[in-house]
Amino acid sequence: MNDIDKDNHIADFVDGKTASSPDPELVQLEETILRLKSTLPSDAPDIAKSKQMLVRLKARMKREEETKKIPFWKKLFNFQANPQVGMILAVAMILIIAIITVPSLEIGGSSNPVTGTANNSTSLLIGGGLIGILLLVYWIFRKK
Amino acid sequence: MSTTKYMENTSNPLSTEASDETLIGQFKAGKTEAFDFLYHRHLPSVYKRVRYVVPENDVEDVTQEIFIAAIKSLPSFRGDSQFSTWLRTLTNHKVAEFYRKRTRKQEPMLAPLSDANAKITGNTSKTMEERVYLQRALHELPENYREVLLLRFAEDLQFNEIASLTNQNLEATKSLFRRAVAALRAHLDK
Repeated sequence: MNDIDKDNHIADFVDGKTASSPDPELVQLEETILRLKSTLPSDAPDIAKSKQMLVRLKARMKREEETKKIPFWKKLFNFQANPQVGMILAVAMILIIAIITVPSLEIGGSSNPVTGTANNSTSLLIGGGLIGILLLVYWIFRKK
Repeated sequence: MSTTKYMENTSNPLSTEASDETLIGQFKAGKTEAFDFLYHRHLPSVYKRVRYVVPENDVEDVTQEIFIAAIKSLPSFRGDSQFSTWLRTLTNHKVAEFYRKRTRKQEPMLAPLSDANAKITGNTSKTMEERVYLQRALHELPENYREVLLLRFAEDLQFNEIASLTNQNLEATKSLFRRAVAALRAHLDK
């Protein structure tokens, strides 16, 4: 049997037009074909399942659209949904303010009065500014 | 056209007789319900192809991703090829993406199959393992071999139809098919 005959035999075997071959090489291929046919499903979904799948597809797209509409930063700063994020930000801000302003409140201050005065007023300004920003952010999010 | 607009239209005043080209034209013109017809027409072939190569639990998920991608890309579909051919290419891309993600997550193809899983699908664990084993062997085949096997077995196309789709003559298609089966056999014997 030449290659063309083998090709035709395997094609006819798949189409159910011919019986098994005595050729051991072709028998192996026939077994593989039968194994594929018996194991892997090739049935299509029925009408009811198709309709259910379409409903689920539309529901999924709706969910994905809704999720996509909310930007990441808004989701992150949604303090009602993520109170932990709000808490972390508040603690971080308090720590920053404390680090900046505490030196200015030290009794006795610096040994160099001129330098110390300048540093203290700068620290107070930065601290005040940060508190102002914190209040502004809080006010904006509360308004929404 | 956004997917939201598609979801808002659910009435079906269009004809089921309309060709793919007509339905695509109507979809592009804003009649988003035309996609429902395209969906019902092409779901069987997409679903069968996906089911042939993807584990049972992921079949619907991957099928949904294919149709979501189709909705998003349809406005740019120029009709250079048939819609079914275009959708078949999209299906292959999504299946490949599925396996890429799976490899990245390092999920083994031959995951242990629970009895519960087998009960849900009405199959025995052994049948399911055989199925995953065959799917892995198919996945490892060269693309032209895998494609001819999927066209014949998953989509149930005749050899003359496959020849026409792949722009080959019938003899070349049959030869490719036999070599594909032989390659699959070799993979299974490894």
